[in-house]
Amino acid sequence: MKILCVEDNERVARFVKKGLVEAGHTVDHADNGRDGMFLAASEPYDVIIMDRMLPGNIDGLGIIEAVRKAGNKTPILILSALSDVDDRIRGLKSGGDDYLVKPFAFGELLARLDALVRRSQESTAETTLVVDDLSLNLVTRKVTRAGQTVVLQPREFKLLEYLMRHANQVVTRTMLLENVWDYHFDPRTNVIDVHVSKLRQKIDAGSERPLLRTIRNAGYMLTADD
Amino acid sequence: MIRLLRFSAFNLALGYIALSIAVLTLFATPLGMAWREGIDEARSAYLQQDVQRLTDIFGRQGVQGLIAAVDRYLDMPFVPERTILFADAALSRIAGNLAAWPSELPASPGTHELSIDRGGSLMQVVVIHAILPGGNHLLLGREISRFRKLEILFRYGFAGAAVAILLLGWLGGTLIRHVLLSEVQGVSQTASAIVEGDLSRRLPTNGGRDELDMLAQTVNRMLDQIEQLVHGVRNVSNAIAHDLRTPLAELRSRLEELSVTRPSPGETFAEIETAVADVDRVIGIFNALLRLAEIDTGARRSGFVQVDAAKIASEAAEFYQPVAELKWVTLTFASSGDLTAAGDPLLLAQAIGNLIDNALKYAQERGTIAVQAIRRPDGAIEVSVSDDGPGIPDDEKPKVTTRFYRGDASRGTPGVGLGLSLVAAVAKLHGGVLELTDNHPGLRATLLMFPANIRT
Repeated sequence: MKILCVEDNERVARFVKKGLVEAGHTVDHADNGRDGMFLAASEPYDVIIMDRMLPGNIDGLGIIEAVRKAGNKTPILILSALSDVDDRIRGLKSGGDDYLVKPFAFGELLARLDALVRRSQESTAETTLVVDDLSLNLVTRKVTRAGQTVVLQPREFKLLEYLMRHANQVVTRTMLLENVWDYHFDPRTNVIDVHVSKLRQKIDAGSERPLLRTIRNAGYMLTADD
Repeated sequence: MIRLLRFSAFNLALGYIALSIAVLTLFATPLGMAWREGIDEARSAYLQQDVQRLTDIFGRQGVQGLIAAVDRYLDMPFVPERTILFADAALSRIAGNLAAWPSELPASPGTHELSIDRGGSLMQVVVIHAILPGGNHLLLGREISRFRKLEILFRYGFAGAAVAILLLGWLGGTLIRHVLLSEVQGVSQTASAIVEGDLSRRLPTNGGRDELDMLAQTVNRMLDQIEQLVHGVRNVSNAIAHDLRTPLAELRSRLEELSVTRPSPGETFAEIETAVADVDRVIGIFNALLRLAEIDTGARRSGFVQVDAAKIASEAAEFYQPVAELKWVTLTFASSGDLTAAGDPLLLAQAIGNLIDNALKYAQERGTIAVQAIRRPDGAIEVSVSDDGPGIPDDEKPKVTTRFYRGDASRGTPGVGLGLSLVAAVAKLHGGVLELTDNHPGLRATLLMFPANIRT
């Protein structure tokens, strides 16, 4: 992927850039609002990482608004030290697609970038999600594994749907919390792990090839690859 | 004077004085003018009549007749204030009580005002100058200083009234200022004491309903709130100092030890991972504090929408259900009635989640937790979470909502002691409180929302 990172803090920028390059991506970096605006407007990117507070007379939200006004639909992830719910809402209203509060774990950032890019490429007309021999029908809400029907609670269905939409990607606990439950706080206990292991029992029980994997220090991944 | 002008009481008094004088002037000016106009008109009308009469005599009886008429005229009792002069075409005196034609009088006929010298004394007169047939001149005048006295009296009266208003206004201003100043001084003394750090001081009130007293009462309520906030901040700073220092100290010694002992890479990486977990713990405390601060400022009311408390509570119960199952705890949910009200769905979910999370921590193995949402008869919405755990001793109940407070029973369990403070803050934001009561056995935590108490 080609990624633009607009971030004025040198250390954070270096950390992000290094991690993304190691993950096989190409990264352009701008350390002020003006350069960021110029790059965002002139180069095609798969995804943009935008810091909120920037030097150079224009802040992150201003750039996002300008970029969106120009008809550019590149997914944008906002990085910010402002953690208020209101700040978050303002960030998303300006045209950002996701909001990550500093300080953050690199795994979280990478997983969210992958999810953003996937979302922007996804066709909405899909009615059935398939990963290996697991299939989920969005219309009939029927789930089967190797032809066997799996009975799921509504929330489990939503959880599986999210995991399948992001198959072969790391999905963090926070992402699940925000997207499946719409909760934006730290539940302080391992509730998410318990939900996932319950789901795992239902879809992977007795199977030779478990699909739902735990990725250490990051989250989960639904994948058929080894 | 300049100093006095700076007092609002004096500005008020000055304005009042100016207004009174303006009203007085508005009243007196037309009156004076009408009066003067009336007298002047009557005076010239009399003179005009006399001029007409003498002109008629001149027409009938000629110069000799007029001379006789002028002499008769001079014999009349009011003559001292009258002036009369009959002169020929060259303005030389023929008859009358003036020695000569007044030189300053214009040659044209008409009504004029002038001062003339008559018998050595100067007098102010109004005269009518008429030209008789044949070119002779007739001058008839009347002294006007007779009404001067009355006019002066009128003017003095006016000036006297103005001075009285001025004095009364000045006196009133001084009095008002004195009263205001003594009231304001009480306020400013108290305010100064507060500025110097004595937050317990309050403005004096007498329980009355006058404006200043009502203001003082409002200010006192504001001071109560400020005092509470300042104490809160002080407690929090102490608590932060204590609770953040511990993980930071651990982190510091861990890193220092690494740099000193330089163990094998494998061990180093394991230590670094633990250090990152320490940092995450600190960040977690910070996030919780920031969230609390955000709620305390009341700014979150902007996120208020119509929410269904029953739905939020049931979703939270459902969210924690698998955790309960793992502990063999029965987690039930019940609600009744319409429980919609204005609220912040995110914060309510977090608060109810915190209560359930707490209950799960303390519930007995194979115990029960009951989540219940109802509307009370007084309109308050009540979401309660009851467990059958050890409960909280009565003397600890008020303390558990204090930030960073951790009861004896909670030692050894995860958490930083901010959970219940958050619930209390969320309840306050929604116009309610967090009530902790005994569940015999266990704890019943009730989050009250009182929509009617919320002022937007």
